[in-house]
Amino acid sequence: MADKEINVKNPLQAIGFEAKDGAGLQSMGLVMARAGLGKTAILVQFALDCMMNKNNVLHISIGEGVEKARSWYDDIVKLLNVEAVDVPELMSKRMIMTFKESNFRKAVLAERIEDLVQQGIFTPECLVIDGFDLEAASREELEELRAFAEEIGVKMLWFSAVSHRGDERMSTDGIPAPCHELDDLFETALLIKPEGDEMQLKILKCEACAVDSGTILTLDPSTMLIQQG
Amino acid sequence: MTKDLSKVRNIGISAHIDSGKTTLTERILFYTDRIHAIHEVRGKDGVGAKMDSMELEKERGITIQSAATYCSWKDIDINIIDTPGHVDFTVEVERALRVLDGAVLVLCSVGGVQSQSITVNRQMTRYNVPRIAFVNKCDRTGANPVKVTEQLQEKLDLNAHMMQIPIGLEAELVGAVDLITMKAVYYDGDNGEIIREEEIPAEMLDEAQEKREALLEEISMFSEELMEALLEDGDIDTQVIYNAVRKGTIDLEFTPVFIGSAYKNRGVQAMLDAVEQYLPCPTDVENLGLDLDNDEAEFAVSNKDEDPLIMLAFKLEDGRYGQLTYVRTYQGTLKKGDTVFNRRTGKKVKIGRLCRMHSDEMEEIDSCGAGDIVALFGVDCASGDTFTDDQISCSMTSMHIPEPVISLAIIPVDNKAQINMSKALNRFTKEDPTFRTFVDHETNETIISGMGELHLEVYVERMKREYGAEVEVGQPQVSYRETITERAEFNYTHKKQSGGSGQFGRVAGYMEPLEEGEYEFVDQIVGGAIPREFISSCDKGFQKSLDKGHLCGAGITGVRCVINDGSFHAVDSSDVAFQLASVGAFKEGYLKAKPVIMEPIMKVSVEGPSEFQGAIMGSINQRRGMIIGSNEEGLYSVIEAEVPLSEMFGYSTTLRSLTQGKAEFTMEFATFKPVPKGVGDELIKAYAEERKNS
Repeated sequence: MADKEINVKNPLQAIGFEAKDGAGLQSMGLVMARAGLGKTAILVQFALDCMMNKNNVLHISIGEGVEKARSWYDDIVKLLNVEAVDVPELMSKRMIMTFKESNFRKAVLAERIEDLVQQGIFTPECLVIDGFDLEAASREELEELRAFAEEIGVKMLWFSAVSHRGDERMSTDGIPAPCHELDDLFETALLIKPEGDEMQLKILKCEACAVDSGTILTLDPSTMLIQQG
Repeated sequence: MTKDLSKVRNIGISAHIDSGKTTLTERILFYTDRIHAIHEVRGKDGVGAKMDSMELEKERGITIQSAATYCSWKDIDINIIDTPGHVDFTVEVERALRVLDGAVLVLCSVGGVQSQSITVNRQMTRYNVPRIAFVNKCDRTGANPVKVTEQLQEKLDLNAHMMQIPIGLEAELVGAVDLITMKAVYYDGDNGEIIREEEIPAEMLDEAQEKREALLEEISMFSEELMEALLEDGDIDTQVIYNAVRKGTIDLEFTPVFIGSAYKNRGVQAMLDAVEQYLPCPTDVENLGLDLDNDEAEFAVSNKDEDPLIMLAFKLEDGRYGQLTYVRTYQGTLKKGDTVFNRRTGKKVKIGRLCRMHSDEMEEIDSCGAGDIVALFGVDCASGDTFTDDQISCSMTSMHIPEPVISLAIIPVDNKAQINMSKALNRFTKEDPTFRTFVDHETNETIISGMGELHLEVYVERMKREYGAEVEVGQPQVSYRETITERAEFNYTHKKQSGGSGQFGRVAGYMEPLEEGEYEFVDQIVGGAIPREFISSCDKGFQKSLDKGHLCGAGITGVRCVINDGSFHAVDSSDVAFQLASVGAFKEGYLKAKPVIMEPIMKVSVEGPSEFQGAIMGSINQRRGMIIGSNEEGLYSVIEAEVPLSEMFGYSTTLRSLTQGKAEFTMEFATFKPVPKGVGDELIKAYAEERKNS
């Protein structure tokens, strides 16, 4: 019952995202929006979905503290109002790592994850990387991170990216700058945008989704949860 | 003569351990002419810093008990309470914050916002204490006050802004540019006592101008006058800026940041100026009392000398002058020889002597008035008691006191030690509400309990040193709790009708988990199934049952007991019969209600070089800890975790050996959580063994 309640509101379920069978990286996804529009809230909902499906999530927050990332989870779990779920048990499937922007590199991340895996502390199955500067990152860096995720057996890898109001550049898939030239690296791309009084989540691209590209979901602007109905 | 309260500041100095706040206090005392030589905390002269008056503090280089002191800076009277940094002693910090009007948050320019800074900041927020920040140790390698200011904004969510920029940093630190006066300030002389103001060095002028503009823009939201002046683009009166910063600070919307190095005698005087300019005087803040004649209705104290007296005892000390009680006067005047009432006990107390304390030295005074912090002699009271005169009956708001999480058995080595131990325990429990003591009637041992290993360790040492009470110490024991997880019914009859007067009582109802609170009793009896006079007996019986659970003998919490049926006997029912029936009913229901053992979980924060992150995480994992996350900031990382207290014994030794002594940790109580099955089984087995053997 609890799972069903969550599924109704969960963006991944709402777009009919179906994980492929088999091992290996199933999707590298991207959530884009202008600054302050709620990318983290959407990423956290994806992470919670992974956790509900008994997968370990490593949430990497760049430029924010552990407490801040943690409070996103606490707030969204509260909003989801899932009384039947053992919240401490659910949260044991999540680990948060935060880095200063200048410190985040694939090599450092690999070292940290290796520490966790080798000691049997935590083996991530989903990676959420929030705050990685895709504007400054090179294509090679992103490819490296993707290859690393595949290497350690991560099933899902999600990034967030900031788009800018004045920048009209766009890929053929409709992925706005600064990610327009990296579009081929992502299987999934979503865009959060305000439309009048509404907040919309537009599916720019999704190979594993039941819905077509261009589908728009409405988000509750105060909670960033998918609106029902 | 009426005292001008606008010229009084009651401030606390709080920070993470080893941020240098005791050194800072030492310098304050030196610059305000209260002491005439500087002694370092771990100085070679062996004298120790002035505020660390306890022997143990001098030896360990940490401040355990806060000592109150008084000094004057320019025309301002400042009462300072030096507060301890270790998390085990936070009750001292909380008490200080309760009676103070403002605080200086000291941070290390290298370590930045550390775990204890977060705790202390949270406490300041709880008591609405306006604060200024002092980024100390700017002479250290790696000093970065800008980074620390950013951390104040990000980690503590403070609207913090630097009021100065450093001239040189690390070993090159010579002074600071004041962004309000736009002057370069240097500290000359052997002890930095000569302040030299110069023009800003040319190479720093652009930066200073830019930072000043940003600062003024930020603080303009607290002053329309300043905003207008900025729009007009003309000269801005410095006083207008001071007023804006002061308003923002007192309204808890702005935190001015000052920089310096107390150890190298840089920047302390500017911080003192800031205490005067930006921190509130007693009339700037609202303190609430509870009117005992009006159902404890809240009212704001007046801060007027001529009004009825209200004082709060916030600290007791048993020093070489006998018992000292530190009080804060909220309104009224107290004179030597006056009689006051302790509103908790209702007793009259005559004040023989009163004095101002300067660490462990005193200065006798004849009277004190609103806003003062003074010490009284020979007053029998507990910390947190309110004293008033006969014209008013009120109590100051209660203080938040955390529950102890750890206990220890202590056994006096001989008869003399037994007597001294009793005296010491009597004193310590009065001084520190988080330190408790009781006798376990089963083992006949004296148990002390508190907020952490170090907390108890310090009291055991004080017992030996100050009272000559040699005690043997048992293994630290975690304070477990038991609770129920399901609703369960009970229906128990207590019957003893053979020989003598009989006993009869039947109690029926149910118990269920209580989300918040420890215990609740609900009476749903209708039709007199249990006579009214025995309802409270049922409550008493249930409460007695809470003392010791049936799983591991720990206290029971989180239970709501509801009675809805019962029966009685016209002759044989009595108070005792219904109490015993309720004890039986509780046991019957408790065992059906799926009881579990709960253990205290500590929020642990380990800071150390990033290269040891893996080892630290491994050590936490081995201790049944749940790692919440890691925060990597260049060479240093902070790992945050929740770990059962029972697994944290001896962790400092493990951590030291794992990290070559380069990491440190702090912990504080987070919550109670059920123990895993394996651990629970062990505890149940041990308790069963213990009962068998006793």
